[in-house]
Amino acid sequence: MKMKTMKRFLCMILLMMPLFISAQELAPILNNLRKAKAPADFVQVRNQLERLSLVTPDDWLAPYYLAYTDVELSFRVSSKEEKIRYIDEAQTYLKRLSDMPNADLSEVNTLKGYRIYALIASDPQTNGPKYYNDVTVWYEKALQINPNNPRALLLSALFKNDTAKFMNGSYDNFYQDIEKAVILLSTEKAETSAPSWGKEWADRALSNKN
Amino acid sequence: MRTTVFLFSFFFSGLVTCFAQQRIIKGTVLDEHSAPMEQANIFIKGTTEGTSSDEKGNFSFTTTQKEEFVLCVLMLGYTEFTVAISGEQTAPLLIKMKPNNVTLNDVVVIAGNYQLKGNSQWKGMSAVDLVTSGGSSGDLYRCLQSLPGTQIAAESGKMFVRGGDSRESQTYIDQMHVLSPYTTTSNNEPVRGRYSPFMFEGINFSTGGYSSEYAQGLSSVLPLTTKSSSPVDKTGFNPSSVGLAGGGTKAFTKGSISMNLSYENLGLYNKIYPDRLTWIKPYQLISGGTQLRFNPDENTVYKTYIGYDRTSFIQQMTSLQDNSERKFDLKEDNFYVNSTFQKETDSGRNYFAGAAFSFRKENIDGAIKSDDSFSDSEWELHLKTKTSRRMLSFLKLHVGAETFIHHYQTSYADSTSSQKGNINHSISALFATADINLTRNLNAEVSSRAEYTDINNSWNYNPRLALSYNLKGIHFSGIVGKYTQLPENKYLVRNSELLAENCIHYIGGIYHENNHKIYRVEAYYKRYNDLAREDADALESDGHGYSKGVDLFFNDQSLFKNMEYMLSYSFNLSKRKYAEYTELTVPQFWTKHNATLSLKYTVTALKSIIGITNRFASGRPYTDPTKAGVMNSTTSCYNSLDLSYTFLANKKLIIYASATNLLGRNNIYNYTYTKQTNSPGGYKSSPVIGSSDHFFYIGFFFTLSGKTAYDVSNF
Repeated sequence: MKMKTMKRFLCMILLMMPLFISAQELAPILNNLRKAKAPADFVQVRNQLERLSLVTPDDWLAPYYLAYTDVELSFRVSSKEEKIRYIDEAQTYLKRLSDMPNADLSEVNTLKGYRIYALIASDPQTNGPKYYNDVTVWYEKALQINPNNPRALLLSALFKNDTAKFMNGSYDNFYQDIEKAVILLSTEKAETSAPSWGKEWADRALSNKN
Repeated sequence: MRTTVFLFSFFFSGLVTCFAQQRIIKGTVLDEHSAPMEQANIFIKGTTEGTSSDEKGNFSFTTTQKEEFVLCVLMLGYTEFTVAISGEQTAPLLIKMKPNNVTLNDVVVIAGNYQLKGNSQWKGMSAVDLVTSGGSSGDLYRCLQSLPGTQIAAESGKMFVRGGDSRESQTYIDQMHVLSPYTTTSNNEPVRGRYSPFMFEGINFSTGGYSSEYAQGLSSVLPLTTKSSSPVDKTGFNPSSVGLAGGGTKAFTKGSISMNLSYENLGLYNKIYPDRLTWIKPYQLISGGTQLRFNPDENTVYKTYIGYDRTSFIQQMTSLQDNSERKFDLKEDNFYVNSTFQKETDSGRNYFAGAAFSFRKENIDGAIKSDDSFSDSEWELHLKTKTSRRMLSFLKLHVGAETFIHHYQTSYADSTSSQKGNINHSISALFATADINLTRNLNAEVSSRAEYTDINNSWNYNPRLALSYNLKGIHFSGIVGKYTQLPENKYLVRNSELLAENCIHYIGGIYHENNHKIYRVEAYYKRYNDLAREDADALESDGHGYSKGVDLFFNDQSLFKNMEYMLSYSFNLSKRKYAEYTELTVPQFWTKHNATLSLKYTVTALKSIIGITNRFASGRPYTDPTKAGVMNSTTSCYNSLDLSYTFLANKKLIIYASATNLLGRNNIYNYTYTKQTNSPGGYKSSPVIGSSDHFFYIGFFFTLSGKTAYDVSNF
């Protein structure tokens, strides 16, 4: 009986090995992502994530963070051609994520909205009027799936506030949404099992409250 | 027990490798010009062991791999590089990367092509941009008429491109042909597009040298792409000075359905601002459209669009010939349905299949005389399928087949006689295009179309070659292509053996975009052959002609903040011997010079967009029977200063107003003469002028749904 249990335990460990390896390898990469400042730092992270996503094709977090890093890179590089290249690559990974059964669709939709926001930022005059409704649509879709997705709440509030400011108005529920996002962010699990970015943004948004 | 030992040994084998001997892999990554490549991703295939290259292209990392392995190098925009590394390899590696042609292919600039919406690298224009152009009055075709290559024929409203007749321009929705894209109006009242610009996410206007995929257009094509998905529920309505419209979209998890209904009646408008015509029953247009979209996955789209509209009016007309009066009573029904399927597989293969059915029927009582009746009806079934795939890193192939089945019927009767005619015919075609990336900067498109027209039992072959070269952001392109089109129905009814008319395009162009400025110059020469021509009592296919000219375009979004202006100029020389022309002469729709200055200014504080457009065209030719020859006189120049004003009142309301010809210029497009001299003074003439000097439009676009803002599109 003991032998049987031992065998089961070992088999389970063997089966879960790729997940452990992925989580183990993802942790230092995400640490690098948190520390990244210059575009070159982000490229290093991007390359690490690319390598990881190739060896763990069934894991959704590596391509998810790869798409996220691409979007972040698009804000940081100066040439428009490079911006579009990263935004396009993010789109490729987001398409793949949409078809992954284990991917959190609420998080994927949030990132889709964020990617379109990056597209607007790459050329606001042209892409602003064209895409601004799409950003809201993806955040709405993310919140329909999970009303407690802090990143969807946060990005949606920031975007609505920016749009309202542009039209000389304001978004009334801005701080309410941000505060809710802060609470939800503080209860999140470890970053290697689910996305967990956004705390710094929320803190920054709240720091202007008073 | 032995199994347990095996499992344990397997589990711990990973730990043992940690203490194995390490070796260093190092080298340099270069691009196609042998310049160092920074930030390339170098790694051992199947592992996460690797690094990124530095600013000198150098890389170095340690590995425990003792045996042979595959080293992989990845870089965005470049083809994957792999090399087998033996266990003895110690020398530094020199890796030269090749550009990824799949990426390159998407940025080819082709002469004659204007991508106004969608993923354009030159000009991403939204529907809002289109309608906020001065004097566009929300009409797609009027917006396009400010681009170089188009000619201003304001009394018509149709597209006349680079010296070509309006029937030489074809419109496609989701790659399927639209038989009748314009509304029907009274004489000398400009037509409008039947379809709202807000329906489309892609507007791609080609003034020549277009793909062999597009058929039956000698001058230009306008492929329009409807939205592949509309993921949010919305409803809206818009009362305007000409009628009322409303509709909405219901989104589902994997699709959506949109609907729009519209009613236009110019009765009230004409009472407030009367035109030169005498209306017994005002112009009315009832239209409705619906679209279903189904997206089973991210790469598959099924779309079906159904649209119907009915136009009717009765107008009092007076004949110039004998001053007789008649009631011109017009009714037109138009129906269009198209259904398409598109899929992109993981391997990069694309599939497309579509079917479209167009139907149009027009009845006019009092067409020429008070006691006559004219009827004209036609339908077309268009079936098409195509596929594309990248065969090699530098070669992408597109192949397809399509067929058009066409029916046309016409009848005319008065108190003394009647005439009837009808034709049924089909066109079947195969087309293929090869996109060849010769180098990173030099691309070629070689295509051909073989077409069989059963009405005259003949084959047509239309080859095309397009080259483009990118020299540090300056794009040079050249195209040679042959296009064919069957003669007009009114000729085919009389002589079904007429040949397909053909035109060869030679186009050369330079394009450059820099710092929110676009510069574009294009020169072209078009040679027309086998045009249908009336010769005494016979109809022949021996008409011919040419058109040549230069188009200039400049767009600047950087001169002042929130301001954009566009300059467009076209110079054209064109002559034809076709239709009823007895000699090689300039066609009546032709203008030598066309120029448009368009300015748009966004006043953020006032939440407003102001659009001003000035359109100029040199005089139009006409035949004065008191002088020798044809097209022997020229009208005065055309000029129209147009204005539009868009006010974003709040998130749920946009107010849009538009006015044309603010300076009130009396634009004359032609002169008609009595057939015989009926007085000592000679022929009696009448200028062809618009039904009105101005057109005013004001519309209130309400968005009712809570999820979208500043959205005038119900689709």
